Amino acid sequence: MKKPPLRTAALAGAVTLGLLLAGCSGSGSDSGAGSGGRTTVTFWGWAPGYADAVKAFNRTHTDLRIDYQQVQPGAKGGYQKTLNAVQAGNAPCLAQLGYETLPSFAAQGALQDVAEYADAGKGDFFDASWKSVSVGDAVYGVPVDTGPMALFYNKKVFDSLGLKPPATWAEYKADAKRIHAADPHKYISSPYLDYDYAGLAWQNGAHWFGVDGDSWKVSLASGPNRQVADYWQDLVRTGAISNAPMYDQAWYKGLGDGSIATVVGAVWQAGVIKGGAKDGAGQWAVAPMPRWSAGDERTGNAGGSATAVLKGCESPKAAVEFAHWLSTDRTAYGILVDKAGLYPAAEKLTDLPQLSAADPYFGGQKISDVFAKAAPKVDADWTWGPVMTKTAADLDDGLGKAWAGNGTIADALRTAQDKTVAELKHQGLKVSG
Amino acid sequence: MTNLATARDTAPARRAAPRRPGRGPLAAGSRTRGAAGRRRTPLLFWCPFAVLFAAMYLAPIVYAAVSSLFVVHRSGLGLTAPTKVFDPIGNYTHAFGDGGFTSSLGRVALFGVVQVPVMLGLALGLALLLDSRSARAKGFFRLAGFLPYAIPGVSAALVWSFMYSPQSSPVNHLLEPLGLHVPFFSGGTVLWSVANIVTWAWTGYNMVIIYAALQSVPAEVLEAARVDGASALRIAWSIKIPAVRGAIALTAVFSIIGSAQLFNEPVVLQPVSSGAISSVFTPIMSAQAAVAAGDYPYAAAQSVVLAVLVGVVSFVFFKLTNRGEQA
Repeated sequence: MKKPPLRTAALAGAVTLGLLLAGCSGSGSDSGAGSGGRTTVTFWGWAPGYADAVKAFNRTHTDLRIDYQQVQPGAKGGYQKTLNAVQAGNAPCLAQLGYETLPSFAAQGALQDVAEYADAGKGDFFDASWKSVSVGDAVYGVPVDTGPMALFYNKKVFDSLGLKPPATWAEYKADAKRIHAADPHKYISSPYLDYDYAGLAWQNGAHWFGVDGDSWKVSLASGPNRQVADYWQDLVRTGAISNAPMYDQAWYKGLGDGSIATVVGAVWQAGVIKGGAKDGAGQWAVAPMPRWSAGDERTGNAGGSATAVLKGCESPKAAVEFAHWLSTDRTAYGILVDKAGLYPAAEKLTDLPQLSAADPYFGGQKISDVFAKAAPKVDADWTWGPVMTKTAADLDDGLGKAWAGNGTIADALRTAQDKTVAELKHQGLKVSG
Repeated sequence: MTNLATARDTAPARRAAPRRPGRGPLAAGSRTRGAAGRRRTPLLFWCPFAVLFAAMYLAPIVYAAVSSLFVVHRSGLGLTAPTKVFDPIGNYTHAFGDGGFTSSLGRVALFGVVQVPVMLGLALGLALLLDSRSARAKGFFRLAGFLPYAIPGVSAALVWSFMYSPQSSPVNHLLEPLGLHVPFFSGGTVLWSVANIVTWAWTGYNMVIIYAALQSVPAEVLEAARVDGASALRIAWSIKIPAVRGAIALTAVFSIIGSAQLFNEPVVLQPVSSGAISSVFTPIMSAQAAVAAGDYPYAAAQSVVLAVLVGVVSFVFFKLTNRGEQA
């Protein structure tokens, strides 16, 4: 194999620098790592609770030791650090990786196919979660958590107008109009961007990406996507959508004072709403995500993450063994539920006692019942794209405008698709369709 | 502190000093070594700088420039590690054909052409006011003007995002009864909303530099002008401003570079801007987007283009202002 010339240049630079350094200092000392009989696997992650789960593993296992190192959350620098480490050849064996980012890592050659070790555990996980750790036939890790979606709604607002939580999107639209007509300062929802919007598309089987042999399919502007886009566009047109951006102070204020009546969001949104909109305590409740038609039980998903095996891992079998344990051990996962609010990707863990507590914020409702029913109904054919950060940014450029009434959501999707296809072709990736 | 440290370090050397002049019996034998040592000694002092300079300054620039000459190439699904192919113009032709990147260059150019003169005009005016004989509480105003610069850029931008945000803007709240509404985030105004933050943050800083330069104007020259009956305005125009030309040119070059590197403010405002600030609003944001797409060499190429353009503009600007001075 030919050495990439860039690496040669970098090497030359490093050597020159090294000579300079050597000329200026005395002799350095090499540090040798002593190794015991146990295999050690390094694991980078950030979710609170991982450190404790790893401690529990190390206490109960004698042949394998996990060295957990906390890094910045992915989007805040953790992913970049991990990618750089893979390029530099000093990456850990395992890393926490969001589903939406996993294919981007894979498409940079940063992940290791561990199908031969991981496939045995496939049956333990929801189909959609398993799909999220694979690209084509390759499997790159073990799913940890998942984000089945539901409808968070301000029951007080709905009750005051004599409304029931909408079972279909048609009812949702009717309720949106009722709420806005009754009080022009009240809105059904805030705008959804990138991965939150993706959850709405996901429910309708409106895939953004797909894998076809050895080429990527990009379909943000497909028919099913158009249907979702036009639906929300119509709500924008009628003025039923607030202009408070999600996760902004204005959004939390709106959730607390009833001016934003619903959030269509994943299970972890419960913690976000609870933490950010304290004034709304006791007013909020959770219902299943509205359906496109009665009897159609498909649900969307937003978020979720995996323990992925990075390129260069020397003990992939051991790494997978730990990753599977982390995702399926009841004690370990109990810690993750308590500390990080994760929702298990392993089907048999959905009855964990830590999940099933009644929540006074949600009027004493056992909200996990809704999500336990939703999780198996998540469409299992969703695939994330190979340059997801860029696709999401390009999409948000258009969506931000569309929600504000400039341009349309459908055009935003079309533009994001065109830009993504151009980027993939520029990098030499194969695109079909 | 430095003096103390040097004194401590040189103390043993001083004690050994009497041996140095070469009168003792050891002198002859140590002569050759001494000569070599004399050649080595400056080198030794130079080394820490050279290493840091090479490692922290030259190496990244060279690395970026070299990597911009390679094009990332993947194939199929891209599941094997990407290769880098030598193609010295590939990234550059892509950059100039990339509408997002070229319009970001145009945007910061427009920004610089408008914002830099406005800001420096303000800074010069404030510095002259501070320097005028009738100014009171100079220390207070100098500090007050400088204060915005002391606030971290990101924190300041967060506060401004609150001021601009359609939901919370106190400005629009006050104007509401008058039927007025300032669209801070419309397509046409958003650049000036950003310019406003930058002006707020940096006027005081530039004012302090110009004010410092004003202090070096000889008092007798000003005195002579006053004796000749020149008004304060006339003195400012004909003596003070020409005297601080150098400082103004310096702040202008800093500001040009700052405009080209615009990043913090638009990034902080982006989430509340209803899409008016795109992910490739400025050249650095555009390079960041390339990094996000895993295309480091393309990001490097964009950075090189930006650096060269800034270098050329700064150079031309310096040449122009210098020529004026010599004429």
